[in-house]
Amino acid sequence: MIIPESKEKWSGRVNPMTLGATPAEGGTRGRTVTIGGASGIPFLSFDGETPHPPALALDVLDKAPSGWPKPLEDVYGDVWSDPAAWACRAKELGADLINLRLVGTHPDEGDRSPQQAVETVKAVLEAVDLPLIIWGCDVPAKDQQVMPKVAEAAQGENCLLGAVTESEYRTLTAAAQAYGHKLIAMSPCDINKAKQVNILVSDMGFPLTNIVIYPSTASLGYGMDYIYSILERGRLAALSGDRLMAQPVLLDVGYEAWRAKEARSEEAAWGPLDYRGPTWEAVTATDLLQGGADLLILRHPKALQAVRTTISQLVAGAAR
Amino acid sequence: MIIFSERINGMYRDVRAAINDRSPAVIQDLVREQVAGGADVIDVNLGPTKGDPAQNFLWLAQTIRQVSDKPLSLDSAKPDLLAEVVPKVKQALPDVKLVINSCTAAPESMAKLIPVAAANQAGIIGLTMDQEGVPGNVEKRVECGAAFLMAALEAGIAPEDIYIDPIILPVNVAPKQPANVMEAIRQLATASDPPPHFILGLSNVSQKCLMNRLLNRTYLVMAIAAGLDAAIMDAADKELVEAAITAEVLLEKCLYSDDYIKAWRMQKGI
Repeated sequence: MIIPESKEKWSGRVNPMTLGATPAEGGTRGRTVTIGGASGIPFLSFDGETPHPPALALDVLDKAPSGWPKPLEDVYGDVWSDPAAWACRAKELGADLINLRLVGTHPDEGDRSPQQAVETVKAVLEAVDLPLIIWGCDVPAKDQQVMPKVAEAAQGENCLLGAVTESEYRTLTAAAQAYGHKLIAMSPCDINKAKQVNILVSDMGFPLTNIVIYPSTASLGYGMDYIYSILERGRLAALSGDRLMAQPVLLDVGYEAWRAKEARSEEAAWGPLDYRGPTWEAVTATDLLQGGADLLILRHPKALQAVRTTISQLVAGAAR
Repeated sequence: MIIFSERINGMYRDVRAAINDRSPAVIQDLVREQVAGGADVIDVNLGPTKGDPAQNFLWLAQTIRQVSDKPLSLDSAKPDLLAEVVPKVKQALPDVKLVINSCTAAPESMAKLIPVAAANQAGIIGLTMDQEGVPGNVEKRVECGAAFLMAALEAGIAPEDIYIDPIILPVNVAPKQPANVMEAIRQLATASDPPPHFILGLSNVSQKCLMNRLLNRTYLVMAIAAGLDAAIMDAADKELVEAAITAEVLLEKCLYSDDYIKAWRMQKGI
Protein backbone atom coordinates (compact mmCIF):
# COMPACT_ATOMS: atom_id res chain seq x y z
CA MET A 1 0.00 0.00 0.00
CA ILE A 2 1.26 3.44 -0.90
CA ILE A 3 1.03 5.93 1.94
CA PRO A 4 -0.20 9.21 0.49
CA GLU A 5 2.02 12.26 0.76
CA SER A 6 0.62 14.35 3.61
CA LYS A 7 2.91 17.33 3.18
CA GLU A 8 1.00 20.53 2.47
CA LYS A 9 2.10 22.81 -0.32
CA TRP A 10 2.02 26.32 1.13
CA SER A 11 2.16 29.40 -1.04
CA GLY A 12 3.04 31.84 1.74
CA ARG A 13 5.38 32.17 4.69
CA VAL A 14 5.61 34.26 7.84
CA ASN A 15 7.61 37.44 7.30
CA PRO A 16 11.04 37.31 8.85
CA MET A 17 11.78 40.33 11.05
CA THR A 18 15.01 41.48 12.67
CA LEU A 19 14.88 43.51 15.89
CA GLY A 20 17.72 45.61 17.26
CA ALA A 21 20.64 47.14 15.40
CA THR A 22 24.38 46.67 15.92
CA PRO A 23 26.84 49.58 15.56
CA ALA A 24 27.38 48.50 11.94
CA GLU A 25 23.63 48.91 11.39
CA GLY A 26 23.36 52.29 13.07
CA GLY A 27 22.49 51.15 16.60
CA THR A 28 24.34 50.12 19.73
CA ARG A 29 23.04 46.58 20.31
CA GLY A 30 25.48 43.73 20.85
CA ARG A 31 23.40 41.51 18.58
CA THR A 32 20.11 41.45 16.74
CA VAL A 33 17.27 38.94 17.04
CA THR A 34 15.43 37.63 13.99
CA ILE A 35 11.98 36.09 14.32
CA GLY A 36 9.43 34.67 11.86
CA GLY A 37 10.20 33.18 8.46
CA ALA A 38 8.31 29.91 9.03
CA SER A 39 7.13 28.23 5.83
CA GLY A 40 4.99 25.51 7.39
CA ILE A 41 2.94 24.46 10.40
CA PRO A 42 4.85 25.10 13.66
CA PHE A 43 7.41 22.44 14.49
CA LEU A 44 6.46 20.09 11.62
CA SER A 45 9.91 19.95 10.08
CA PHE A 46 8.66 17.92 7.09
CA ASP A 47 6.01 20.56 6.34
CA GLY A 48 8.23 23.59 6.13
CA GLU A 49 11.18 25.39 7.65
CA THR A 50 11.43 27.18 10.98
CA PRO A 51 14.50 29.27 10.14
CA HIS A 52 14.21 31.35 13.32
CA PRO A 53 13.00 29.61 16.47
CA PRO A 54 10.65 31.62 18.71
CA ALA A 55 12.47 34.33 20.69
CA LEU A 56 11.97 34.96 24.41
CA ALA A 57 11.83 38.36 26.09
CA LEU A 58 11.75 39.07 29.82
CA ASP A 59 9.67 41.81 31.40
CA VAL A 60 11.20 44.98 32.87
CA LEU A 61 9.00 47.74 34.33
CA ASP A 62 9.92 51.39 34.75
CA LYS A 63 8.83 51.29 38.40
CA ALA A 64 8.72 48.71 41.14
CA PRO A 65 5.70 46.49 40.42
CA SER A 66 2.89 46.11 42.88
CA GLY A 67 1.25 42.79 43.50
CA TRP A 68 3.82 40.52 41.88
CA PRO A 69 3.85 37.15 43.65
CA LYS A 70 6.76 35.99 45.75
CA PRO A 71 8.50 33.76 43.16
CA LEU A 72 8.98 36.83 40.98
CA GLU A 73 9.95 39.05 43.91
CA ASP A 74 12.61 36.49 44.87
CA VAL A 75 14.22 36.87 41.44
CA TYR A 76 13.81 40.61 40.81
CA GLY A 77 12.95 42.24 44.15
CA ASP A 78 16.46 43.56 44.78
CA VAL A 79 16.66 45.31 41.36
CA TRP A 80 13.11 46.20 40.41
CA SER A 81 13.23 49.79 41.56
CA ASP A 82 16.01 50.37 38.99
CA PRO A 83 15.01 49.49 35.39
CA ALA A 84 18.64 49.44 34.19
CA ALA A 85 19.70 46.99 36.91
CA TRP A 86 16.56 44.95 36.26
CA ALA A 87 17.37 44.78 32.54
CA CYS A 88 20.88 43.52 33.38
CA ARG A 89 19.33 40.81 35.54
CA ALA A 90 17.02 39.81 32.67
CA LYS A 91 20.00 39.50 30.38
CA GLU A 92 21.90 37.37 32.90
CA LEU A 93 18.86 35.12 33.16
CA GLY A 94 18.95 34.40 29.42
CA ALA A 95 16.51 36.82 27.77
CA ASP A 96 16.86 37.35 24.00
CA LEU A 97 15.19 40.76 24.28
CA ILE A 98 14.15 43.18 27.01
CA ASN A 99 10.43 43.95 27.20
CA LEU A 100 10.24 47.42 28.76
CA ARG A 101 6.83 48.56 29.97
CA LEU A 102 6.46 52.27 30.75
CA VAL A 103 3.65 51.61 33.22
CA GLY A 104 4.86 54.47 35.43
CA THR A 105 3.69 56.97 32.81
CA HIS A 106 0.09 55.95 33.55
CA PRO A 107 -1.81 58.89 35.10
CA ASP A 108 -2.77 56.68 38.05
CA GLU A 109 0.58 54.91 38.39
CA GLY A 110 2.89 57.85 38.93
CA ASP A 111 2.17 59.90 35.81
CA ARG A 112 5.82 60.01 34.83
CA SER A 113 6.58 62.60 32.16
CA PRO A 114 7.68 61.89 28.57
CA GLN A 115 11.14 63.15 29.55
CA GLN A 116 11.32 60.70 32.46
CA ALA A 117 10.26 57.91 30.12
CA VAL A 118 13.02 58.89 27.70
CA GLU A 119 15.58 58.76 30.52
CA THR A 120 14.43 55.28 31.48
CA VAL A 121 14.71 54.05 27.90
CA LYS A 122 18.18 55.56 27.53
CA ALA A 123 19.31 54.02 30.80
CA VAL A 124 18.12 50.59 29.75
CA LEU A 125 19.71 50.94 26.30
CA GLU A 126 23.00 51.81 28.00
CA ALA A 127 22.83 49.08 30.61
CA VAL A 128 22.15 46.13 28.27
CA ASP A 129 22.94 45.51 24.62
CA LEU A 130 19.86 43.38 23.86
CA PRO A 131 17.12 44.56 21.44
CA LEU A 132 14.18 46.31 23.11
CA ILE A 133 10.42 46.01 23.02
CA ILE A 134 8.86 49.19 24.46
CA TRP A 135 5.22 49.65 25.49
CA GLY A 136 3.42 52.74 26.72
CA CYS A 137 0.87 52.65 29.52
CA ASP A 138 -2.17 51.84 27.38
CA VAL A 139 -3.79 55.24 27.95
CA PRO A 140 -3.94 56.60 24.39
CA ALA A 141 -3.81 60.29 25.32
CA LYS A 142 -0.68 59.76 27.44
CA ASP A 143 0.96 57.32 25.05
CA GLN A 144 0.61 59.90 22.29
CA GLN A 145 2.79 62.25 24.32
CA VAL A 146 5.28 59.68 25.53
CA MET A 147 5.85 57.25 22.68
CA PRO A 148 6.98 59.70 19.96
CA LYS A 149 9.64 61.03 22.37
CA VAL A 150 10.70 57.51 23.25
CA ALA A 151 10.82 56.54 19.58
CA GLU A 152 13.01 59.56 18.85
CA ALA A 153 15.36 58.83 21.77
CA ALA A 154 15.80 55.24 20.57
CA GLN A 155 16.32 56.21 16.93
CA GLY A 156 18.59 53.75 15.15
CA GLU A 157 18.02 50.96 17.68
CA ASN A 158 15.28 49.24 15.64
CA CYS A 159 13.00 48.64 18.62
CA LEU A 160 9.55 47.05 18.63
CA LEU A 161 6.98 49.63 19.80
CA GLY A 162 3.56 48.85 21.22
CA ALA A 163 0.82 49.00 20.53
CA VAL A 164 -1.41 50.28 17.75
CA THR A 165 -5.10 49.32 17.68
CA GLU A 166 -7.95 49.74 15.24
CA SER A 167 -8.96 53.01 16.89
CA GLU A 168 -5.54 54.38 17.94
CA TYR A 169 -2.80 53.91 15.39
CA ARG A 170 -1.83 57.15 13.71
CA THR A 171 0.58 58.70 16.22
CA LEU A 172 2.55 55.58 17.03
CA THR A 173 2.68 54.49 13.39
CA ALA A 174 4.04 57.89 12.37
CA ALA A 175 6.62 57.76 15.20
CA ALA A 176 7.77 54.24 14.27
CA GLN A 177 7.97 55.30 10.62
CA ALA A 178 9.93 58.46 11.38
CA TYR A 179 12.50 56.87 13.69
CA GLY A 180 12.90 53.46 12.10
CA HIS A 181 11.18 51.13 14.55
CA LYS A 182 8.89 48.13 14.21
CA LEU A 183 5.26 48.12 15.41
CA ILE A 184 3.04 45.88 17.53
CA ALA A 185 -0.50 45.74 16.10
CA MET A 186 -2.94 44.73 18.81
CA SER A 187 -6.35 43.12 18.22
CA PRO A 188 -7.79 41.63 21.40
CA CYS A 189 -8.98 38.12 20.63
CA ASP A 190 -10.35 39.05 17.19
CA ILE A 191 -8.65 37.76 14.06
CA ASN A 192 -10.70 39.96 11.72
CA LYS A 193 -9.47 43.01 13.64
CA ALA A 194 -5.92 41.71 13.40
CA LYS A 195 -6.20 41.92 9.64
CA GLN A 196 -8.03 45.25 9.80
CA VAL A 197 -5.33 46.94 11.94
CA ASN A 198 -2.72 45.79 9.46
CA ILE A 199 -4.74 47.27 6.59
CA LEU A 200 -5.07 50.61 8.42
CA VAL A 201 -1.40 50.82 9.37
CA SER A 202 -0.28 49.73 5.91
CA ASP A 203 -2.58 52.35 4.40
CA MET A 204 -0.44 55.01 6.12
CA GLY A 205 2.52 53.76 4.13
CA PHE A 206 3.99 51.66 6.94
CA PRO A 207 5.51 48.42 5.56
CA LEU A 208 3.59 45.23 6.34
CA THR A 209 6.96 43.56 6.94
CA ASN A 210 7.59 45.85 9.94
CA ILE A 211 4.48 44.80 11.87
CA VAL A 212 4.08 42.16 14.58
CA ILE A 213 0.58 40.82 15.32
CA TYR A 214 -0.39 40.82 18.99
CA PRO A 215 -3.72 38.96 19.26
CA SER A 216 -3.73 39.42 23.06
CA THR A 217 -3.03 36.40 25.25
CA ALA A 218 -4.94 34.17 27.63
CA SER A 219 -3.51 31.88 30.25
CA LEU A 220 -3.98 28.17 30.71
CA GLY A 221 -7.38 27.78 32.35
CA TYR A 222 -8.55 31.26 31.32
CA GLY A 223 -9.57 30.99 27.70
CA MET A 224 -6.24 29.93 26.24
CA ASP A 225 -8.12 27.90 23.62
CA TYR A 226 -9.63 31.07 22.12
CA ILE A 227 -6.20 32.54 21.52
CA TYR A 228 -4.94 29.19 20.31
CA SER A 229 -7.57 29.00 17.58
CA ILE A 230 -6.79 32.57 16.54
CA LEU A 231 -3.11 31.70 16.26
CA GLU A 232 -3.92 28.62 14.24
CA ARG A 233 -6.29 30.38 11.86
CA GLY A 234 -3.90 33.29 11.40
CA ARG A 235 -0.96 31.01 10.66
CA LEU A 236 -2.99 29.08 8.08
CA ALA A 237 -3.93 32.38 6.42
CA ALA A 238 -0.27 33.43 6.35
CA LEU A 239 0.85 30.12 4.88
CA SER A 240 -1.95 30.30 2.31
CA GLY A 241 -0.52 33.56 1.02
CA ASP A 242 -2.52 36.24 2.87
CA ARG A 243 0.14 38.96 3.12
CA LEU A 244 -1.99 40.91 5.59
CA MET A 245 -1.70 38.00 8.03
CA ALA A 246 1.93 37.04 7.33
CA GLN A 247 3.32 38.99 10.28
CA PRO A 248 5.16 37.30 13.14
CA VAL A 249 3.05 36.92 16.29
CA LEU A 250 3.84 38.23 19.77
CA LEU A 251 2.29 36.82 22.95
CA ASP A 252 2.39 38.36 26.42
CA VAL A 253 2.51 35.12 28.36
CA GLY A 254 4.14 36.19 31.64
CA TYR A 255 1.64 38.92 32.40
CA GLU A 256 -1.35 36.64 31.76
CA ALA A 257 0.00 33.49 33.41
CA TRP A 258 0.87 35.28 36.65
CA ARG A 259 -2.65 36.71 36.89
CA ALA A 260 -4.06 33.18 37.20
CA LYS A 261 -4.90 32.20 40.78
CA GLU A 262 -3.16 28.88 40.18
CA ALA A 263 0.09 30.82 39.70
CA ARG A 264 -0.43 33.17 42.65
CA SER A 265 -2.27 31.42 45.46
CA GLU A 266 -0.29 30.70 48.61
CA GLU A 267 -2.58 27.68 49.20
CA ALA A 268 -0.12 25.04 50.43
CA ALA A 269 -2.29 22.12 49.34
CA TRP A 270 -1.74 23.19 45.69
CA GLY A 271 1.98 22.56 45.98
CA PRO A 272 4.91 24.92 46.39
CA LEU A 273 4.31 28.27 44.67
CA ASP A 274 7.88 28.69 43.45
CA TYR A 275 7.37 25.57 41.36
CA ARG A 276 3.68 26.00 40.55
CA GLY A 277 3.91 29.60 39.30
CA PRO A 278 6.75 29.13 36.80
CA THR A 279 5.16 25.87 35.66
CA TRP A 280 1.86 27.62 34.92
CA GLU A 281 3.75 30.17 32.87
CA ALA A 282 5.85 27.57 31.03
CA VAL A 283 2.87 25.35 30.20
CA THR A 284 0.87 28.32 28.88
CA ALA A 285 3.83 29.31 26.72
CA THR A 286 4.62 25.89 25.30
CA ASP A 287 0.96 25.22 24.51
CA LEU A 288 0.52 28.50 22.67
CA LEU A 289 3.74 27.99 20.71
CA GLN A 290 2.08 25.07 18.94
CA GLY A 291 -0.53 27.43 17.48
CA GLY A 292 2.11 29.60 15.85
CA ALA A 293 3.90 32.32 17.84
CA ASP A 294 7.26 33.93 17.19
CA LEU A 295 8.02 36.12 20.19
CA LEU A 296 7.00 35.43 23.79
CA ILE A 297 7.19 37.82 26.72
CA LEU A 298 7.89 35.90 29.90
CA ARG A 299 8.62 36.70 33.55
CA HIS A 300 10.17 33.86 35.50
CA PRO A 301 13.63 32.50 34.56
CA LYS A 302 12.55 28.91 35.28
CA ALA A 303 9.72 29.32 32.78
CA LEU A 304 12.16 30.82 30.29
CA GLN A 305 14.52 27.88 30.67
CA ALA A 306 11.71 25.34 30.34
CA VAL A 307 10.34 27.00 27.19
CA ARG A 308 13.85 27.27 25.74
CA THR A 309 14.41 23.56 26.32
CA THR A 310 11.11 22.68 24.66
CA ILE A 311 11.91 24.84 21.64
CA SER A 312 15.34 23.27 21.26
CA GLN A 313 13.75 19.82 21.30
CA LEU A 314 11.24 20.83 18.64
CA VAL A 315 13.48 22.80 16.29
CA ALA A 316 16.77 21.34 15.14
CA GLY A 317 19.62 23.78 15.76
CA ALA A 318 17.38 26.15 17.71
CA ALA A 319 20.02 27.46 20.11
CA ARG A 320 20.10 31.24 20.23
CA MET B 1 -10.25 33.83 -7.72
CA ILE B 2 -8.20 33.88 -10.89
CA ILE B 3 -9.56 36.60 -13.13
CA PHE B 4 -8.98 36.16 -16.86
CA SER B 5 -9.64 39.46 -18.63
CA GLU B 6 -12.12 38.97 -21.48
CA ARG B 7 -11.60 42.40 -22.97
CA ILE B 8 -8.80 41.78 -25.51
CA ASN B 9 -11.14 40.11 -27.96
CA GLY B 10 -11.58 40.96 -31.65
CA MET B 11 -15.33 40.65 -31.19
CA TYR B 12 -15.11 44.11 -29.63
CA ARG B 13 -14.96 46.70 -32.41
CA ASP B 14 -12.26 48.83 -30.77
CA VAL B 15 -9.99 45.81 -30.33
CA ARG B 16 -10.64 44.54 -33.83
CA ALA B 17 -9.79 47.93 -35.34
CA ALA B 18 -6.66 48.18 -33.18
CA ILE B 19 -5.44 44.77 -34.37
CA ASN B 20 -6.19 45.53 -37.99
CA ASP B 21 -4.51 48.96 -37.81
CA ARG B 22 -1.67 47.80 -35.51
CA SER B 23 -2.39 50.60 -33.03
CA PRO B 24 -0.98 49.53 -29.67
CA ALA B 25 -2.38 52.36 -27.53
CA VAL B 26 -5.96 51.05 -27.59
CA ILE B 27 -4.86 47.57 -26.54
CA GLN B 28 -2.46 48.83 -23.89
CA ASP B 29 -5.03 51.16 -22.31
CA LEU B 30 -7.49 48.29 -22.07
CA VAL B 31 -4.87 46.00 -20.53
CA ARG B 32 -3.96 48.65 -17.94
CA GLU B 33 -7.63 49.09 -17.09
CA GLN B 34 -8.18 45.34 -16.75
CA VAL B 35 -5.08 44.87 -14.57
CA ALA B 36 -6.11 47.83 -12.40
CA GLY B 37 -9.48 46.13 -11.96
CA GLY B 38 -7.85 42.90 -10.79
CA ALA B 39 -7.10 40.81 -13.89
CA ASP B 40 -4.58 38.02 -13.23
CA VAL B 41 -4.41 36.68 -16.78
CA ILE B 42 -5.06 38.46 -20.08
CA ASP B 43 -7.13 36.36 -22.44
CA VAL B 44 -6.36 37.15 -26.08
CA ASN B 45 -8.92 36.32 -28.75
CA LEU B 46 -8.56 37.60 -32.32
CA GLY B 47 -12.19 37.41 -33.32
CA PRO B 48 -12.85 38.19 -36.98
CA THR B 49 -9.66 40.12 -37.67
CA LYS B 50 -7.79 40.42 -40.95
CA GLY B 51 -4.36 39.08 -41.82
CA ASP B 52 -2.26 36.15 -40.64
CA PRO B 53 -3.69 35.02 -37.28
CA ALA B 54 -0.30 33.84 -35.98
CA GLN B 55 1.20 37.25 -36.69
CA ASN B 56 -1.79 38.93 -35.05
CA PHE B 57 -1.34 36.84 -31.89
CA LEU B 58 2.36 37.60 -31.80
CA TRP B 59 1.79 41.32 -32.23
CA LEU B 60 -0.87 41.35 -29.49
CA ALA B 61 1.31 39.39 -27.08
CA GLN B 62 4.25 41.75 -27.59
CA THR B 63 2.01 44.81 -27.37
CA ILE B 64 0.51 43.58 -24.08
CA ARG B 65 3.92 42.59 -22.70
CA GLN B 66 5.05 46.22 -22.98
CA VAL B 67 2.57 47.23 -20.26
CA SER B 68 2.02 44.05 -18.24
CA ASP B 69 3.88 40.89 -17.28
CA LYS B 70 0.63 39.00 -16.54
CA PRO B 71 0.20 35.54 -18.05
CA LEU B 72 -1.49 35.43 -21.45
CA SER B 73 -4.30 33.06 -22.34
CA LEU B 74 -4.24 32.44 -26.09
CA ASP B 75 -7.85 31.93 -27.07
CA SER B 76 -8.91 30.19 -30.26
CA ALA B 77 -11.27 27.39 -31.28
CA LYS B 78 -8.68 26.19 -33.84
CA PRO B 79 -6.29 23.60 -32.37
CA ASP B 80 -3.89 23.85 -35.32
CA LEU B 81 -3.56 27.58 -34.89
CA LEU B 82 -2.91 27.26 -31.14
CA ALA B 83 -0.34 24.52 -31.73
CA GLU B 84 1.45 26.88 -34.11
CA VAL B 85 1.12 30.06 -32.07
CA VAL B 86 1.95 28.92 -28.53
CA PRO B 87 5.59 27.94 -29.24
CA LYS B 88 6.07 31.12 -31.29
CA VAL B 89 4.82 33.38 -28.52
CA LYS B 90 6.83 31.43 -25.94
CA GLN B 91 9.96 31.87 -28.05
CA ALA B 92 9.36 35.60 -28.48
CA LEU B 93 8.43 36.16 -24.80
CA PRO B 94 10.10 33.35 -22.83
CA ASP B 95 9.35 34.92 -19.41
CA VAL B 96 5.58 35.15 -19.98
CA LYS B 97 3.40 32.33 -18.67
CA LEU B 98 0.93 31.09 -21.29
CA VAL B 99 -2.43 29.36 -21.02
CA ILE B 100 -3.92 27.46 -23.96
CA ASN B 101 -7.59 28.34 -24.38
CA SER B 102 -8.85 25.87 -25.29
CA CYS B 103 -8.74 22.14 -25.88
CA THR B 104 -11.75 19.82 -26.04
CA ALA B 105 -12.03 16.25 -24.78
CA ALA B 106 -12.06 14.99 -28.40
CA PRO B 107 -9.06 12.64 -28.73
CA GLU B 108 -7.48 14.49 -31.67
CA SER B 109 -7.77 17.85 -29.88
CA MET B 110 -6.11 16.48 -26.73
CA ALA B 111 -3.43 14.69 -28.74
CA LYS B 112 -2.60 17.95 -30.48
CA LEU B 113 -2.68 20.48 -27.64
CA ILE B 114 -1.76 18.73 -24.37
CA PRO B 115 1.82 18.04 -25.57
CA VAL B 116 2.11 21.69 -26.62
CA ALA B 117 1.12 22.77 -23.11
CA ALA B 118 3.61 20.35 -21.57
CA ALA B 119 6.44 21.43 -23.88
CA ASN B 120 5.88 25.12 -23.20
CA GLN B 121 5.14 24.92 -19.45
CA ALA B 122 1.75 26.41 -20.31
CA GLY B 123 -1.57 26.11 -18.55
CA ILE B 124 -4.40 24.55 -20.53
CA ILE B 125 -8.16 24.96 -20.47
CA GLY B 126 -10.15 21.84 -21.26
CA LEU B 127 -13.75 22.24 -22.44
CA THR B 128 -16.15 19.55 -21.28
CA MET B 129 -17.21 18.68 -24.82
CA ASP B 130 -15.99 16.32 -27.49
CA GLN B 131 -16.53 15.82 -31.23
CA GLU B 132 -20.28 15.48 -30.57
CA GLY B 133 -20.60 19.04 -29.29
CA VAL B 134 -21.64 20.68 -26.01
CA PRO B 135 -23.42 18.20 -23.70
CA GLY B 136 -26.92 19.04 -22.56
CA ASN B 137 -26.57 17.13 -19.31
CA VAL B 138 -24.31 16.83 -16.29
CA GLU B 139 -23.07 13.28 -16.92
CA LYS B 140 -21.46 13.97 -20.29
CA ARG B 141 -19.80 17.10 -18.94
CA VAL B 142 -18.30 15.12 -16.08
CA GLU B 143 -17.20 12.36 -18.46
CA CYS B 144 -15.47 14.84 -20.80
CA GLY B 145 -13.95 16.80 -17.92
CA ALA B 146 -12.57 13.64 -16.30
CA ALA B 147 -11.14 12.41 -19.63
CA PHE B 148 -9.36 15.72 -20.18
CA LEU B 149 -8.11 15.87 -16.59
CA MET B 150 -6.67 12.35 -16.78
CA ALA B 151 -4.97 13.02 -20.10
CA ALA B 152 -3.43 16.28 -18.86
CA LEU B 153 -2.21 14.74 -15.59
CA GLU B 154 -0.74 11.79 -17.47
CA ALA B 155 1.18 14.19 -19.70
CA GLY B 156 2.78 15.59 -16.56
CA ILE B 157 0.89 18.88 -16.40
CA ALA B 158 0.58 20.12 -12.81
CA PRO B 159 -2.96 20.38 -11.38
CA GLU B 160 -2.48 24.12 -10.90
CA ASP B 161 -1.95 24.48 -14.66
CA ILE B 162 -5.12 22.57 -15.56
CA TYR B 163 -8.41 24.43 -16.01
CA ILE B 164 -11.71 22.72 -16.71
CA ASP B 165 -14.37 24.78 -18.46
CA PRO B 166 -17.82 23.14 -18.18
CA ILE B 167 -19.17 25.54 -20.85
CA ILE B 168 -21.95 27.90 -19.85
CA LEU B 169 -24.60 28.66 -22.46
CA PRO B 170 -26.95 31.67 -22.55
CA VAL B 171 -29.74 31.34 -20.01
CA ASN B 172 -32.30 32.66 -22.50
CA VAL B 173 -31.73 29.72 -24.86
CA ALA B 174 -30.53 26.97 -22.49
CA PRO B 175 -32.22 27.57 -19.14
CA LYS B 176 -31.20 24.24 -17.56
CA GLN B 177 -27.51 24.68 -18.24
CA PRO B 178 -26.52 27.07 -15.43
CA ALA B 179 -27.58 24.48 -12.83
CA ASN B 180 -26.01 21.63 -14.83
CA VAL B 181 -22.68 23.46 -15.02
CA MET B 182 -22.65 23.95 -11.25
CA GLU B 183 -23.40 20.29 -10.62
CA ALA B 184 -20.66 19.24 -13.05
CA ILE B 185 -18.16 21.41 -11.16
CA ARG B 186 -19.21 19.85 -7.84
CA GLN B 187 -18.74 16.34 -9.19
CA LEU B 188 -15.45 17.02 -10.96
CA ALA B 189 -13.98 18.78 -7.94
CA THR B 190 -13.94 15.49 -6.05
CA ALA B 191 -12.24 13.61 -8.91
CA SER B 192 -8.71 14.78 -8.16
CA ASP B 193 -6.75 15.91 -5.13
CA PRO B 194 -5.53 18.59 -5.45
CA PRO B 195 -8.35 19.56 -7.80
CA PRO B 196 -7.75 21.42 -11.07
CA HIS B 197 -9.11 24.93 -11.57
CA PHE B 198 -12.65 25.45 -12.81
CA ILE B 199 -13.24 28.28 -15.24
CA LEU B 200 -16.13 29.72 -17.24
CA GLY B 201 -16.49 32.22 -20.04
CA LEU B 202 -18.86 34.08 -17.78
CA SER B 203 -20.44 36.60 -20.14
CA ASN B 204 -21.84 33.76 -22.23
CA VAL B 205 -24.52 33.16 -19.59
CA SER B 206 -26.12 36.51 -20.37
CA GLN B 207 -25.56 36.80 -24.11
CA LYS B 208 -28.28 38.92 -25.71
CA CYS B 209 -30.00 39.32 -22.34
CA LEU B 210 -31.18 42.74 -21.24
CA MET B 211 -29.99 42.43 -17.62
CA ASN B 212 -26.62 41.01 -18.60
CA ARG B 213 -24.49 42.54 -15.85
CA LEU B 214 -26.84 41.42 -13.10
CA LEU B 215 -26.98 37.92 -14.58
CA ASN B 216 -23.18 37.72 -14.81
CA ARG B 217 -22.74 38.89 -11.25
CA THR B 218 -25.35 36.60 -9.76
CA TYR B 219 -24.21 33.56 -11.68
CA LEU B 220 -20.56 34.15 -10.85
CA VAL B 221 -21.39 34.10 -7.13
CA MET B 222 -23.46 30.93 -7.53
CA ALA B 223 -20.72 29.19 -9.52
CA ILE B 224 -18.06 30.18 -6.98
CA ALA B 225 -20.19 28.52 -4.33
CA ALA B 226 -20.16 25.36 -6.48
CA GLY B 227 -16.35 25.42 -6.73
CA LEU B 228 -15.51 27.80 -9.58
CA ASP B 229 -12.17 29.51 -8.92
CA ALA B 230 -11.45 31.23 -12.24
CA ALA B 231 -13.51 33.13 -14.80
CA ILE B 232 -13.01 34.86 -18.12
CA MET B 233 -14.77 38.12 -17.34
CA ASP B 234 -14.64 41.90 -17.44
CA ALA B 235 -12.17 42.84 -14.70
CA ALA B 236 -13.18 46.49 -15.12
CA ASP B 237 -16.71 45.68 -13.92
CA LYS B 238 -16.19 46.76 -10.31
CA GLU B 239 -19.46 45.35 -8.99
CA LEU B 240 -18.73 42.00 -10.61
CA VAL B 241 -15.22 41.78 -9.16
CA GLU B 242 -16.39 42.86 -5.72
CA ALA B 243 -19.19 40.28 -5.76
CA ALA B 244 -16.59 37.58 -6.47
CA ILE B 245 -14.33 38.77 -3.64
CA THR B 246 -17.30 38.83 -1.29
CA ALA B 247 -18.34 35.32 -2.27
CA GLU B 248 -14.83 34.09 -1.49
CA VAL B 249 -14.87 35.80 1.90
CA LEU B 250 -18.24 34.19 2.67
CA LEU B 251 -16.76 30.80 1.77
CA GLU B 252 -13.76 31.58 4.02
CA LYS B 253 -11.38 31.29 1.09
CA CYS B 254 -9.85 34.41 2.57
CA LEU B 255 -10.05 35.92 6.00
CA TYR B 256 -12.69 38.59 6.67
CA SER B 257 -11.79 42.09 7.81
CA ASP B 258 -13.94 45.22 7.63
CA ASP B 259 -11.88 46.47 4.70
CA TYR B 260 -11.71 43.11 2.91
CA ILE B 261 -12.11 44.67 -0.55
CA LYS B 262 -9.21 47.01 0.15
CA ALA B 263 -7.22 44.08 1.57
CA TRP B 264 -7.77 42.16 -1.66
CA ARG B 265 -6.57 45.11 -3.73
CA MET B 266 -3.55 45.67 -1.47
CA GLN B 267 -2.50 42.07 -1.90
CA LYS B 268 -2.71 42.42 -5.66
CA GLY B 269 -0.81 45.69 -5.54
CA ILE B 270 -3.61 47.57 -7.33
